[in-house]
Amino acid sequence: MINTRHKIEYNPENCVGCKLCYKACFVGVITWDAENKKPVFSYVEDCEHCCYCQIVCKKGCIKVCPDFDSQSFRQSFDVYNR
Amino acid sequence: MKQFEEKRESCDILIVGGGIAGLTAAVAAKEKNPDASILIIEKQTAGYSGKANKGGGVLQWFALDRIVPEDFLAYHVPTVGAYLGDQNIMAKYVAMNNDMINRLEEWGVTVDRVMRPTGPMTYVVGVDLDVTLKVRQKAEKLGVRIIDKVTMSDLLKDGEKIAGAVGYNIEDGTFYVFEAKSVLLATGSQNYRVASMWSNGRGDGIAAAYRAGAEMRNAEFGNFSQFYKIHAQEEVVRGENYMYNKNDQNVTKNFRRFIEADISSTAIREWYEQMSQGKGPIKLRTPIMPGFGKMMPNRKYGIPFWDANHANAEGLDPETNAEVVPGLVGEQSPVRVDNDMKTTIEGLYAAGDVSYCGSGACGAVPAPPARNRGSGILNAVFAGMVAGDSQADYVKDAVQGKICEEQVAKFKEAAYAPLEREEGINPMEIIDDVQKIMCPCENSVYMAQYRLDICKRKLEKVKAKLPHLKANNMHELLTCHEAEATVLSCNMHLEAASMRKESRGWFLREDYPDMDNENWLKWIIVKNVDGKMTLHTEDVPIETYPIQPPK
Repeated sequence: MINTRHKIEYNPENCVGCKLCYKACFVGVITWDAENKKPVFSYVEDCEHCCYCQIVCKKGCIKVCPDFDSQSFRQSFDVYNR
Repeated sequence: MKQFEEKRESCDILIVGGGIAGLTAAVAAKEKNPDASILIIEKQTAGYSGKANKGGGVLQWFALDRIVPEDFLAYHVPTVGAYLGDQNIMAKYVAMNNDMINRLEEWGVTVDRVMRPTGPMTYVVGVDLDVTLKVRQKAEKLGVRIIDKVTMSDLLKDGEKIAGAVGYNIEDGTFYVFEAKSVLLATGSQNYRVASMWSNGRGDGIAAAYRAGAEMRNAEFGNFSQFYKIHAQEEVVRGENYMYNKNDQNVTKNFRRFIEADISSTAIREWYEQMSQGKGPIKLRTPIMPGFGKMMPNRKYGIPFWDANHANAEGLDPETNAEVVPGLVGEQSPVRVDNDMKTTIEGLYAAGDVSYCGSGACGAVPAPPARNRGSGILNAVFAGMVAGDSQADYVKDAVQGKICEEQVAKFKEAAYAPLEREEGINPMEIIDDVQKIMCPCENSVYMAQYRLDICKRKLEKVKAKLPHLKANNMHELLTCHEAEATVLSCNMHLEAASMRKESRGWFLREDYPDMDNENWLKWIIVKNVDGKMTLHTEDVPIETYPIQPPK
């Protein structure tokens, strides 16, 4: 599997519940906890590290930490089958 | 069966997909026919979804003050499209260029009008990555309704005519039945979930159109690849002009004489040949070339976006960082449309990346950009405007097709089936299997019959897994449907690629290295007939076009 080891750091301290990160995620990694008005990073294994959630957050609560070694483009030559 | 709430919605035009193509179509349709009721459904959030806000942020600009569309055809058709294009739609795209960009500006999109040349007839102008969001705001102002977090699972037909669609909410599972006079697919292409930022093209709209019996065209041209720096995982646009092997030989000279604006499949083939001869790794010795994005300052979204995505390149030793590997981007976009974006099913339209190759606009290339820088966003805008215009007229006289409840019940059962299984296969396993088939460039870009046959045998095993897909929640249910679409795209590619016994444009075969205008000036059409994949060819009406191949 590829793209499975990315991490998203979230600091709820300054989060105002604006929902922009939830809207910005184009692959459904983030779900919304309506009761607490906070994002939930439910499916991080699907993160494409586009970093849009990080960019739209005006309070700087989110940092996407891609693991680039977990991504490979799978050519046949052994060296690329990391 | 688990019980989910069911909702019914009715509209004149249902638009599936809230990326730039779908939103543009909505605005264009509303401007032409303000009385038409328009509903957009988007599986994530309209205005944030799609690729227009994840890419280069440039729009192609034609110097129409000094060229006519035929001038561009005279360059594009022989060199890029390799005579396989529908030249009428390409001419239409060029002719509308300046007006389209002016119209986007009127809708609230900020356009950076500094012209950066990309060729003798073309420039790019800049947009920031909020381009899609601005068009959503315009659509909402005009009264377009939008339902987010709802995906379409199947199209509904009344006889041979479209009647609507069914789908479900990807969070709470609510089932939706949409009654519509006309449906627009703006669901993006198939990118096999490989390259970051491109991987939201998951082919589910292509699969729904295929199941409904719509024709597919140019399915074998959907494998765009570009070089990625292997350590930094950063894509290198234009770097293929500076390829060196381990003996420090400039191998770009083996396939191109001069610097070209964009990657070609011959660069990928050269990488494969060098590697298979043991002359790898291939490194790019590029001069400093800022991407278009970095050349355009004052971008609130663009600059932090690129900075965040290229941060991993920082601190790497330049020699280590020079090594590249082809990465499959994908971009299969085969839903066949005519010059008004009508598919072969009455009332069903398709615009944007879902029908790029299917429209024939580009000829023998995948993507966009299809070796046509800045045409990605603009093709979606073009197709959206044309589709919206055409649908606005269509719904004035069209009669709503009847919804067949039996069909709805059947689709509902099929949609939720992976949730019902006690145990089964995780959909990511299927996607992983398909990636293993598609990613190696010798299966997707530089092919040979024996390799395609091996791939087909592998794919048969993957297909046998599909009836056992298991979803534990709604998120996984969506992934199950995307996995099915991924298998279908791979299947269409392998069948159509096996049929085309020549090399043309982006499509290269080791066993048929030459372009064969005598026998293969043809489109391959893929169609689902009673559940069976059928293929046939159709002559390109080349004699009716302005640009002809040499005799």
